[in-house]
Amino acid sequence: MTGMKTFLMPDRRRFLKTAGAAITASLAAPYLVRAQEKILYVNTWGGPWEAAAKAHLIDPFTAETGIQVKTVSPVSFAKLAQQVKTGTYEFDVTTLGGGELVRANQAGIIEALKEPYKGGLFENGVASHAFATIMAWRKDKYKESPKTWADFWNVEKFPGGRSLQRYASRVIPIALLADGVAVKDLYPLDVDRAFKSLDKIKPHIRVWWTAGAQSTQILRDGEIDMIGIWHGRYFEAEKAGAPVAMTWNQGEIERAYWVVAKKTPNLENARKFVEFATSAKPLAGFSKAADYGALNPASNQFVDPADAKRMPTSPDNYKLTFEQDMANLGIDPAELAERFEEWVAS
Amino acid sequence: MGISLSKLTEKTNIWPWLLLAPLGIYMLIFFVVPLAEVAIMSFTEPKVSLANYQKVLTGALYQRVFLNTFVTAAFVTLCCLLVGYPLAYLMAHSKPRTAMLILLLVTMSFWTSFLVRTYSWMVLLGNNGPLIAFLEMIGFDKPPQLLFTRFSSTLAMVHILAPYMIMNIYTVMKKIDPALIRSAESLGARGWSLFRHVYLPLTAPGIANGSVLVFVICLGFYVTPVLLGSPREQMIAGLIGHQIEEFLAFGLGSAMAMILLVVTLIILTIYHRRFGLDKLWG
Repeated sequence: MTGMKTFLMPDRRRFLKTAGAAITASLAAPYLVRAQEKILYVNTWGGPWEAAAKAHLIDPFTAETGIQVKTVSPVSFAKLAQQVKTGTYEFDVTTLGGGELVRANQAGIIEALKEPYKGGLFENGVASHAFATIMAWRKDKYKESPKTWADFWNVEKFPGGRSLQRYASRVIPIALLADGVAVKDLYPLDVDRAFKSLDKIKPHIRVWWTAGAQSTQILRDGEIDMIGIWHGRYFEAEKAGAPVAMTWNQGEIERAYWVVAKKTPNLENARKFVEFATSAKPLAGFSKAADYGALNPASNQFVDPADAKRMPTSPDNYKLTFEQDMANLGIDPAELAERFEEWVAS
Repeated sequence: MGISLSKLTEKTNIWPWLLLAPLGIYMLIFFVVPLAEVAIMSFTEPKVSLANYQKVLTGALYQRVFLNTFVTAAFVTLCCLLVGYPLAYLMAHSKPRTAMLILLLVTMSFWTSFLVRTYSWMVLLGNNGPLIAFLEMIGFDKPPQLLFTRFSSTLAMVHILAPYMIMNIYTVMKKIDPALIRSAESLGARGWSLFRHVYLPLTAPGIANGSVLVFVICLGFYVTPVLLGSPREQMIAGLIGHQIEEFLAFGLGSAMAMILLVVTLIILTIYHRRFGLDKLWG
């Protein structure tokens, strides 16, 4: 017995040592590799978004510059902030929405960039692509098509279940339009009036959707009859064969911006990537594949007319829509969100 | 072998600690340190003050969501118990083959992705789903709305969490000495009274273990109630994620997390006083 014990123990100790070393090595591996090769890390939304980015932005970029790119998903605003704080970089570039961009630039967590095309720079983010929150409905439910957000609010003329995104800064402007505010008078937001308007539609909102896939699903399966939905998600329901229709009228456009993490060791390559990703042709290809609208006007020449119909930024659609004005909200977005959440829950 | 090892531990008390060291160090680095950081952030972000706690403890939204979180967790725990106890009994007292089959069915839902299960419920309970179709078939003119209610979210959470309850009760039931039941019967206990005075007290540790596990896990839920529940349902975990991901309000999010942690610890302490935490693992 004793012999066996002494025979066993050193072995086990050695095993622990080796295992420990192996674990440490595998944990540290990505960082070691990074330090050596200067690979550029791009933060993506994963799934079809990443596939579109790979095909139209990342692979062509590597082909042109020889710079290796790896992807990290999902997109995390919090991680971007923590990276700068801790000095450990998981990604060098990412995309942000307008509201987040303003906050990020204020917090000093993104690098200064230069304007790659005219009007393309805002708060140190380069405008890349846009999506719209549009009104969609079930054709099997309504003979006449609703046209405006006021129609969305009109439950006598268009009875049925409604859904909007559980996202204050997107819902408030829509509520104001429904109440008769003109687009040019939207900002700064009259929050009290918006909540009074929201009170009227609240009993008819069956779902405040929170995930893109969820919004497609409830429209496709007819859980609701009218919905404020991202245009890309709408086209998915349409493609699935659901009897649905939409309008670009009063669609609410939001921009996505490429940003570079502050003090990243890969600054030079990161800037090159942002410039490449927002140049005319790659951006056109990406926007088409991921169901966005390209924000670089030069991209339009690479978009054929059939695809342009599906983009909020093509001239015909764009004139019907309005843009979110994140710099001029008139209220702290966190405070707005808190009030909104409290209102939803009460 | 076993004997010599236990002798060894008696002689050199350092051994168990050495064996624990890898896990201990791992927990220290990846759990205790980050947790301490969260605690510090709750007092220091954006500046050193108690403002985060004041906001969370006095804000109407946060009070409402905390209350909803605990009420939901308690209700789900109760439902899991009501569903799980008879099933565990069935498992513990049927033939090994039947028991295996039930065990397989119970654990199978464990292997299915959490989101897939949630979306499956949406399909089953939806307007065009089989359940509504069935209700219409048997003569409901206007079937009640099932999806996006407290009913649907509770149903899904019970489905997700019931295995924890069942496994805990089952292991305790399995360990009950049949001689105890026989002797109770020989002393005249029958039916309800046998159950109430003998069987139920014997299974109490399983009930307590299962309930604590289900309750604590349920406190951290948020995807299921948001996707399936009524618009008014919101769990605290969702609010924490929201504050951090969207508004970079690390301090406020941390304060909410600390309050949730403290309340959970209080519940576990009460449990420990009553039953002993060591029993939690069977």
